[in-house]
Amino acid sequence: MEANTGVFICDCGRSMNNIDFSRVREKVAKIPHVTCVNLSSNLCLEEGKEQMTSCIRDKNIDRVVVAACSPEFKEHVFQQALENAGLNGHLLSVANIREQCAWAHEGDVTEKALELIRMAVNRTRLLQPVEEKELSVNKGVLVVGGGFSALNSAIQLSQLGLPTTLLERESTLGGRIRELENMYGFKTGPMIEAAEGAKNIDILTSAEVLEVEGKIGNFMVRIRKGAEEISRSFGAIVFATGYETEVTDQDFQLKPGVNIISQERLAQMLQASSPKGRPQTVGFIFDFYDENSRFPTLATLSNALAIKQKWGSEVYVLCRDVKVDSEGADQLYREAREHGVVFSKFEEKPRISADDGRVKVEAKDVFLGEDMTLICDLVVAEERILPPAGTKDLSFLLSIRTDSQGFYQDENVHLYPVASERKGIFFIGGCRGDLDFQRALADVSSVVMNVYGLLSSGKVVVEAEKVKVDPQKCVACLTCIRVCPHSAIQLARTEGEKEVAEISDLACDACGVCAAICPAKAIKFEGYSDEQILAQIEALGAP
Amino acid sequence: MRGEIVAFCCERSAYPAADLAGKGKLCYPDNLRVIRIPCAGRVDAIHILKAFEKGAAAVLVLGCEDGACHHITGNIRARERVRYCDMLLKEVGLDGGRVGMFNVAPNETHKFVRIVNEMNEKIKESGETK
Repeated sequence: MEANTGVFICDCGRSMNNIDFSRVREKVAKIPHVTCVNLSSNLCLEEGKEQMTSCIRDKNIDRVVVAACSPEFKEHVFQQALENAGLNGHLLSVANIREQCAWAHEGDVTEKALELIRMAVNRTRLLQPVEEKELSVNKGVLVVGGGFSALNSAIQLSQLGLPTTLLERESTLGGRIRELENMYGFKTGPMIEAAEGAKNIDILTSAEVLEVEGKIGNFMVRIRKGAEEISRSFGAIVFATGYETEVTDQDFQLKPGVNIISQERLAQMLQASSPKGRPQTVGFIFDFYDENSRFPTLATLSNALAIKQKWGSEVYVLCRDVKVDSEGADQLYREAREHGVVFSKFEEKPRISADDGRVKVEAKDVFLGEDMTLICDLVVAEERILPPAGTKDLSFLLSIRTDSQGFYQDENVHLYPVASERKGIFFIGGCRGDLDFQRALADVSSVVMNVYGLLSSGKVVVEAEKVKVDPQKCVACLTCIRVCPHSAIQLARTEGEKEVAEISDLACDACGVCAAICPAKAIKFEGYSDEQILAQIEALGAP
Repeated sequence: MRGEIVAFCCERSAYPAADLAGKGKLCYPDNLRVIRIPCAGRVDAIHILKAFEKGAAAVLVLGCEDGACHHITGNIRARERVRYCDMLLKEVGLDGGRVGMFNVAPNETHKFVRIVNEMNEKIKESGETK
């Protein structure tokens, strides 16, 4: 059956002066299969939409081309007009004659506009309807981790009525939350109690994820808790697995020990009410080995200030630069200076050696231009933020990539900020990289909104079989399963007992990578199938 | 005049960049024909070769920045395919880098215009395909 194509041209309030619309109209009417050409100047407004709807209905049009602005702006409006006329919204092609034709060139571009319309007409007659369907999803959420981000998101999700399971590797909740207590004067006890007391939160401690199967809406997760294994189903999974710190290799002549300590050890000493033998002089070293030091900067600044306030010791901070891009860091830096913390800038590595039970630090001060020797009772070593142990195994298990630093989802702007390439799996907090408190809080709000939007109604609407495998052509070579970036394809058994690839409508993100790579050309991507793309090329240069 | 440049533009990066170029009235040669695709990884060798068969003078595949593809590896796969097509074109004697894969972020309008202009200069030098 030949398509009955209607072409709707919009001159966008006469903003395209370099196109001769009457000639366009005349020529378009001569294209085969075009039964009706309409010229309007306000197609995207209510009246334009109504005209379009009634025209489609009256003239029995079954394929539509709109020649107007970029599909990025108003495609959904025109799709709505089609649906109002009882036509599937996918039977529409937009010829971009404004941004990519009239506005992009000087001089008369009527010919180009005509060619763009011809390309769209060629494509549109091959389009097939894509129906929407509703699928039910499991409302349960699994939050992996027990730290600040995990607790906060679990509490907020459970308050929104989503049953939440909190899974923590250690035997108690809290993670590295005590560090925040120091830095922000923030009480964590009530938060842990709130999580433990909430009815909607199920807490599994000393547990770990063994296997994740399935898709968004129905992930089957195998969990090991102590000696037993349990399987549960969740609609979405939030990973808040945190970070680790490591004392960087600073070629100390003495190993980190009594006199050279980590930030974490210092925090413990500061919390102990009466430290025996308060150190007279404390030196901090940071920003020599690791450039990405947002969190270490905050830790150093707040701990230096705390030492001044609690112990009254002399405090020296040896660094290359102080980076104060985190919220509040600038103020912390100023306060630390006002309280008498001395900051010294160096370019070369400091030499650290033992000196009669104390630590001698020698380095060349950039501003003084002279060597400086500092004898400290205590040196706090530079630390680096690392992804937590097990990140590699986890990313293998989920088939989700990590960034160049080994963190999750810190670089890809198109998935920013908390989503991953697999729908329904989210990463928040420290496992996304060197985050400060405010950024972690923003992550929590973001993930709560995302998960709530996905699961709250118990069902999601998806486009049914937009990308589908032809079981007759599929030879189960597994190429598509291997390349699918969203892990949306799996093997399924057909009625004829043959195994073929099957694409999940829920997990598919419609990129078409599988359709391009399939050696048997068994995958059809409706809207961007080979025929539909080639049809546009066929129109090139046609008279 | 024959001798179009066919540009397969990823709808997440190069297509908005082309729109923005138009909005900013940054002019580029009017022999450009943009075909919108969901990801550069959707482009297959047959699409590129068909364009040449139909008389295009050059083909561009424009995708997201490396490491910032929404579909993770789409732009890398596109680059491989473009390299393969380039090899095929050389075999049939259609030299001169008439097919190219470039990374364009959605806000890099000037880069988009520069790529189109450079390709246009190149085809002017090496002549039309027919």
